[in-house]
Amino acid sequence: MNWKLVLPIAVFTPALALAQGKPSDPQIAHIVVTANQIDIDAGKLAKSRSKNKEVQDFAQRMITDHTAVNKQAGALAKKLGVKPEDNDTSKSLKKGATENVANLKKLKDGAFDKAYVDHEVAYHQAVLDAIDKVLVPSAQNQELKGLIVKVRPAIATHLEHAKHVQADLGKK
Amino acid sequence: MKFVPGRLEVAAGDRIIWINRDFLPHSVTSQSSGIESGDLGEGKTFSYVLKKPGEIAYICRLHPVMHGTIVVK
Repeated sequence: MNWKLVLPIAVFTPALALAQGKPSDPQIAHIVVTANQIDIDAGKLAKSRSKNKEVQDFAQRMITDHTAVNKQAGALAKKLGVKPEDNDTSKSLKKGATENVANLKKLKDGAFDKAYVDHEVAYHQAVLDAIDKVLVPSAQNQELKGLIVKVRPAIATHLEHAKHVQADLGKK
Repeated sequence: MKFVPGRLEVAAGDRIIWINRDFLPHSVTSQSSGIESGDLGEGKTFSYVLKKPGEIAYICRLHPVMHGTIVVK
């Protein structure tokens, strides 16, 4: 089964392309770590660039929470002896992230804030969809599956938080 | 991530104990009522006694879309 989730964002269309069919557990581990790192990096950029406190606070939350998730993922991978394996999905995520960051670096003030938060909304929705439709159903190891299930509420809360910030920015 | 139960009824003078069962830190924060737990890590608890009848709305300061209500009778 080939999966392609395309995010319709104004300028960029980062595609969460799960092109290789059902990912293996090492590939899932790599996707999880990659997806978290992408949001950590975007958060660091936003924290340094935004002048809006609400956006800065949101960005810090992304840095802290996704770092914590990656710490759990790394610990589990080590415990299970699973070496994260690079794959087309991780590559696609990184490509989208590079494009997003390049776009964000051209922007400032309100335009930056809007672009960053709009992308965070779309990104977290795409990650949730990937968790529900691919990662949880595909994971073979029950502890790995359990970790992804455990993390899902955090992603859902991040999505809700991002939408809240998006709405507040829209009022300005 | 959410407070469970989201709405809790207690008697005035009851001690309420929050337990963080999540791996991410959370807080119990109500600016209007002066309640601030600080950041609570996994397994950490926070307790508070509400003495006056009324409704207290609180949030997680770290994840402000997390809401809870205590109804003091």
